[in-house]
Amino acid sequence: MAAQGIAEQLTALLRADLVKSDLTSLEAYSRDATPLFRGVPDVIVSPRSTADVVKVVKFANETNTPIIARGAGSNLSGATVPLQGGIVLAMANMKSVLEVSKSEMIAVVQPGVTNIDLDELVAKEGLRFIPDPGSRNVSTIGGNAATSAGGLRGLKYGTTKNYVLGLEAVIGTGEILRTGGRLVKDVAGYDITRLLVGSEGTLGIFTEITVALAPRPQLSKYGVAYFDSLASAAQAVDQVMLAGLLPATLEFLDNTCIVAVEDFAHLGLDKEAGALLLFGDDGDEASVTPALTRMAEIIKSASGCRGLTLAADVAAADALLYARRCSLPALARLGSLSILEDIAVPRPKMAEAVRKIEEIAQCYNLRIGTFGHAGDGNLHPTIVVDKDIPEEVRKAELALREIFQIAIDLGGTITGEHGVGSAKLPFLEPLLGPVNMQLQRNIKKVFDPKGILNPGRLGS
Amino acid sequence: MTQPFTQSKLDRCISCGYCLPACPTYQLTGAEESSPRGRITLMRAVQDARLPLESLLPESNFCLGCRACEPVCPAGVEYGVLLEEMRDATWKGKNKPLIVRALFLAVGSTLRVRALALLSPIARKRKARTDLHLMLGCFERRLFPRVSRAVAQIEPTCSISKDQGCCGALHAHNGALEKGKAMAKALGEQLPGTILTTAGGCAAHLSSVLGRDRVKEFSEWFTLNNQQLTPLTKNGRPVRIGFQDSCHLRNGMSVFNEPRTILKSLGEYIEVPDAAACCGAAGTYALLQPKNSRKVVSKKVQDIAALNLDYLATVNPGCTRQLQSELRRAGVKTKVVHLAELVERALSANS
Repeated sequence: MAAQGIAEQLTALLRADLVKSDLTSLEAYSRDATPLFRGVPDVIVSPRSTADVVKVVKFANETNTPIIARGAGSNLSGATVPLQGGIVLAMANMKSVLEVSKSEMIAVVQPGVTNIDLDELVAKEGLRFIPDPGSRNVSTIGGNAATSAGGLRGLKYGTTKNYVLGLEAVIGTGEILRTGGRLVKDVAGYDITRLLVGSEGTLGIFTEITVALAPRPQLSKYGVAYFDSLASAAQAVDQVMLAGLLPATLEFLDNTCIVAVEDFAHLGLDKEAGALLLFGDDGDEASVTPALTRMAEIIKSASGCRGLTLAADVAAADALLYARRCSLPALARLGSLSILEDIAVPRPKMAEAVRKIEEIAQCYNLRIGTFGHAGDGNLHPTIVVDKDIPEEVRKAELALREIFQIAIDLGGTITGEHGVGSAKLPFLEPLLGPVNMQLQRNIKKVFDPKGILNPGRLGS
Repeated sequence: MTQPFTQSKLDRCISCGYCLPACPTYQLTGAEESSPRGRITLMRAVQDARLPLESLLPESNFCLGCRACEPVCPAGVEYGVLLEEMRDATWKGKNKPLIVRALFLAVGSTLRVRALALLSPIARKRKARTDLHLMLGCFERRLFPRVSRAVAQIEPTCSISKDQGCCGALHAHNGALEKGKAMAKALGEQLPGTILTTAGGCAAHLSSVLGRDRVKEFSEWFTLNNQQLTPLTKNGRPVRIGFQDSCHLRNGMSVFNEPRTILKSLGEYIEVPDAAACCGAAGTYALLQPKNSRKVVSKKVQDIAALNLDYLATVNPGCTRQLQSELRRAGVKTKVVHLAELVERALSANS
């Protein structure tokens, strides 16, 4: 159907101001945070209610029109780029927090609420929303649930999939599905809630999300250690875990990142070090201080440790966290195109993975900085090139393929927390194998028989 | 067509979207095209000739130009520069707002700026330090003459010359970029040495053209002097003072602690919620987009009303004007004054 026809029909179904099809608006929604992916939609719809979403999905189902749900568009896998055109469902204006129950420690929200807005709201009740992806200031709970977003607390607390208790979603036929609810214990039937979390908009459009909250810790403390190599840092992390400690924060930067961050932010980092390890814990005074002291003792006496400092106050801790958080922008300034990847490997294999990534960087003569979550084996190798040199871009793509293969060979995954989207779809089958892939496609058909929900992604 | 944007400045944006929550127009609409990232996507489309230049016009008009997106940008995108380039490219011919034309005319020459303030009792001219000059501004000179009188009292060593024109911020922000830069350079020649200014918007523009070390905004300058202030009182209690940041002073020059430090010694300082968020004055915005400007300021008016302040201090004439009129309209008794006026009162109460 012609684009203008779609817009006219949707305008007849919905309030006129919820539908846009001018070229300017369409262009604005042609991208998300993923480099190299672009696709212009035919129409943008900004629903205000579940009823609006039902109308749009029913229309799309009848007319075989692709429909792409979008929160903040901050994903890094090209999951919300309308590569086949169609309808972008912009959920940003469905942003009410419907309920916060302090005694049940849950919140019921619309999908467009941002992660930080929810966290700040529940903080007033002494509670915390645990998932804290790097994009938390902008990303929405709908997007977090659709990608099962991770963050810096994965090892101790898990990720979004551990905190979604219930969903209201509109499936491909336009029917409203309610799954799960506000219960911690509920084993009635297949766990469709868990299936929908991380489904990247391919099984249903979330319209209401019930999330579990946790008590807000009294304090967090942090320290930083430098190592000769990432391998020795990884061994130190093993020893921390073997001692029965479970740190809330265990983040690392490789030498390329340390140098980039130091040149950018001038924090006084040790540029000679092979790896920087940021560690920390949260809880109450009685538990955090002893835990951090033990961690520091273990890390300090680990082989290859060049030095260790505990953050004396909040400002010092913030500076340490800033070093980790600004890794990507610091790297990004070194070239006009940065491709941030997201493999995860079993923690004992982490050092090996990083070493192999370094070999790839040398082999292709590429700048690859790796930072990530040392506690859960989630690595973010970041390739920085000049976008105007096709040869460099091509080398980057080849290097990425090899990096994915390393992850698979080491028993890991091609994406820890960013999602498959379009960027990693070609690498899914080698990871999952034919049986799993066929099941995924069959599942997709059950929820979305005509294949209108985020087509060309998971389940396709 | 020549490309309207500096390519390297467009390339900086990594499309992460971290700017979205900071943007007042995105907060109003939830629309990607009305966010800094969305606007840069549109600029790129125009730069690459996928969209016609005219398609930028609605967003060129809608953007406040507050630059709240800059401090939160992890990639260091100079959005303010890109916006100036966007306005420069789009506000041409019939698309140049009539009000802007009239304002340009009013401040187009030093003579006209002087004529504008003919009846305004501004600070008297004087020769003092040759390396420190008070900038009188154009509309501040006309609308708020007390501000320059206050600074003349506070800083007796600064020279005051009436032979000075507009700094060109008005032009740079409203589609006449080169003219705006030329005017800043001319003012830099009229006022040698350090230029002391009471307007955040002018300070940011001047420093972007003349260099950061040539320009001192009033609060910055006063903080350096470290003068003791006695708190102002009302009915025997310290006055309750709030503060509204100047967007360009904060987002363009990173000056936001200084005014607060001063205000804390002037009375009971109360931080206004979202004081860093634009008040909707945004240079000519309140005149060009009155409806949107009111939408932006409405929550701020409620917040200020709830605080029951005696004074709301400002550091930019546009903010003073906007908040004076909006608070009056809402029946809020809080007086909106420039920070320098409060400092002058505290100093004269001392002596």
